[in-house]
Amino acid sequence: MKTATIALAASALALTIMSSHTSAEELRFTVWTGNEAHLKMLNGFAESFKASHPDVSVKFETIPPADYTQKLTFQLAGGNPPDAGWLMEDAAPTFANAGVLEDVAPTLNQAQGYNFADFSKPALGLWTASDTVYGIPFSTSPFVIFYNKDLFDKAGLEDPLALAAKGEWDMARFQEVAKKLKETTGKWGFEFKDGQGYDSRIMHALMPPIRAYGGDVWANKECGFDKPEAVAAVQQLHDMVFKDQSIVPPGEQGDYFSGNAAMTINQISRASLMEKAGFKWGIAPLPTGPGGESPVIGQAGIVVFTAGKQKQLAADFVAHMTNAENVAIAAQFFPPARTSVLESDAFVTSNKLIPAEQMKIVADAIAKGKVLPSHDKSPQILTAMKPRVDALWRPDANVEASLKAVCEAIQPLL
Amino acid sequence: MPAKPTTGIVTQDASTPWLTLKMREAMEAWLFIGPTLAGFLIFFIGPLIAVVWYSMTEWNLLAQQATFVGLDNYDDALFRNPDFWLVVRNSVIFALGLVPFNMALALALAISLSRRFVGVVFFRTVFFAPVVTSAVAWAIVWKFLLQGEAGFVNQMLAHIGINGPNWLREPDWAMAAVIVTRVIKMVGLNMILYIAALQAIPRDYEAAARLEGASNWQIFRLVIWPLLGPTTLVIMVITTIGSFKVFDHIYLMTGGGPENGTLVLAFYIYKQGFEFFDVGYASALAMIMFVIVMVLTLVQLALRRRDT
Repeated sequence: MKTATIALAASALALTIMSSHTSAEELRFTVWTGNEAHLKMLNGFAESFKASHPDVSVKFETIPPADYTQKLTFQLAGGNPPDAGWLMEDAAPTFANAGVLEDVAPTLNQAQGYNFADFSKPALGLWTASDTVYGIPFSTSPFVIFYNKDLFDKAGLEDPLALAAKGEWDMARFQEVAKKLKETTGKWGFEFKDGQGYDSRIMHALMPPIRAYGGDVWANKECGFDKPEAVAAVQQLHDMVFKDQSIVPPGEQGDYFSGNAAMTINQISRASLMEKAGFKWGIAPLPTGPGGESPVIGQAGIVVFTAGKQKQLAADFVAHMTNAENVAIAAQFFPPARTSVLESDAFVTSNKLIPAEQMKIVADAIAKGKVLPSHDKSPQILTAMKPRVDALWRPDANVEASLKAVCEAIQPLL
Repeated sequence: MPAKPTTGIVTQDASTPWLTLKMREAMEAWLFIGPTLAGFLIFFIGPLIAVVWYSMTEWNLLAQQATFVGLDNYDDALFRNPDFWLVVRNSVIFALGLVPFNMALALALAISLSRRFVGVVFFRTVFFAPVVTSAVAWAIVWKFLLQGEAGFVNQMLAHIGINGPNWLREPDWAMAAVIVTRVIKMVGLNMILYIAALQAIPRDYEAAARLEGASNWQIFRLVIWPLLGPTTLVIMVITTIGSFKVFDHIYLMTGGGPENGTLVLAFYIYKQGFEFFDVGYASALAMIMFVIVMVLTLVQLALRRRDT
């Protein structure tokens, strides 16, 4: 009898433990980054969320950036939706139009001390439609020039940061130093973002110079690739690739991060790769051009998926992750859209790898920049562009004719 | 205890007296093939029927909205979409380049390696190894080797005074490069099939022909080659089907570029379905590909029957 009582009590205890375990909830959150420092920070947000939601854990699931949107779509369509996730700017309109993003406005409005008005209005452009909030910009990250200081010193050249301070960092000077760097160091003068400027990063390669020349890739549903400003900008890049041979050409590997190119264009989230770079480096603004200063911003937001099983909880976590305190923490990697954080001293000193004076460049670019173009037919537009842009990157290409062909291909989609 | 002697006569099972022997045997057979049949129906026939249905819908994967559009997707692909015919042309060029090259090389290797000599196993392994190598690793390594000036291939060519092209960035060369690298990857499989077929031919035939005064070429053309017919047909069919289905190689090496020069049918279907999320259109393209491959296979079978 005594044994039976003990067994009964043990079973009851086990059942209690099991039932308390199953009442704990887990949110699944997809992100593009697998970087250790980024994940540590994100897990920190999950940990602090436990203060208000002790039974909730958050699992961050990394999907590599090249496949991110596609795999996310499969998860949503395949009945295995994450609760919340990171969304790139080029996918935002497509996802919003498809109705797969949850309106988080009610949750944000009720979140204590959230202060939604703190977010910069232009930065919210992609993520809001009247009173509906499809997502919160989590990274409003301008493109900057990363440069290899050692290679500039070896070539006896002033670095881009010094040139920018003197107001001499423009597209002409950019071409000039890239050429000299190649001639004197034997390393490439410049590499497009992640070495993908001819393939998956076409927009990141063409957009900054086109805007520096005062053009745009499209505006008000009209293609801008064939406008004189865009033609001049792309002609310069073409000359740098084939005449000066200072930009890593199509079909070659450069890799700024291993010291094989003196400059590249990227965002400060990539600074975490520089910790073990083995050379002195810095960041500088994008070169100006006839169009003046025209920083380009890449943006990503965090969203809640309508197909998710725990939408309210996910929205609560989004509110937590984007409160002023956490945005300030994230700012070291992912520049904020909250003006209070952006204007604070804490922001310019947030990144251990980037000196405050260089972080001011980032803050300045966010204030003045324009987000990369987005469209709900982005995948189709990029696919239509790709073969015409391929034709552009032939040594004997007629740049103007190639860009005209780009416009003919994408205009019906705009 | 001695084993119970068997009479060889199957008697009615006392536990299932209502079943005849024939019925019981049939039931056992169904039970044995049941699991495989279920898998075949669920994972092969089911999706095949589903694709026919999907191909008649306009289905956005992301929005999960499907509208019946009849044959509109087929009409669009065949008569309104100029890219479709470009893609078919590329697929045909790929197949025409790959199939004869692959088969000729496989046969040449098989003839060389079907005889016994020291080191033959080593050479067979060398030529077969790419077949079992990861397709992803294979494509990525070749992408590096085929870089412009810095690529290993061009550096080797430069040693003998040849200025190699930018293999994967020039449309004509890109197609040639993907065909050749694909052939090197897959030729080992066909080589093994040919070696097996060659070794199955009785040596007496060759000896008899030689006694009659036949030359090596005559022995190959009039004795060996006709006997290799069934194997050649199998190889031709699987290589042709494989060439139309090629995806990973193109995806990793050229992404369909440059200038759509290597955009083949399977990759185009992938783009429609998994980049534009237009599942209906992608399904229609898949059905068209199915028909093309089926027709080619039937033609090959008919030609073979006529020859024999």
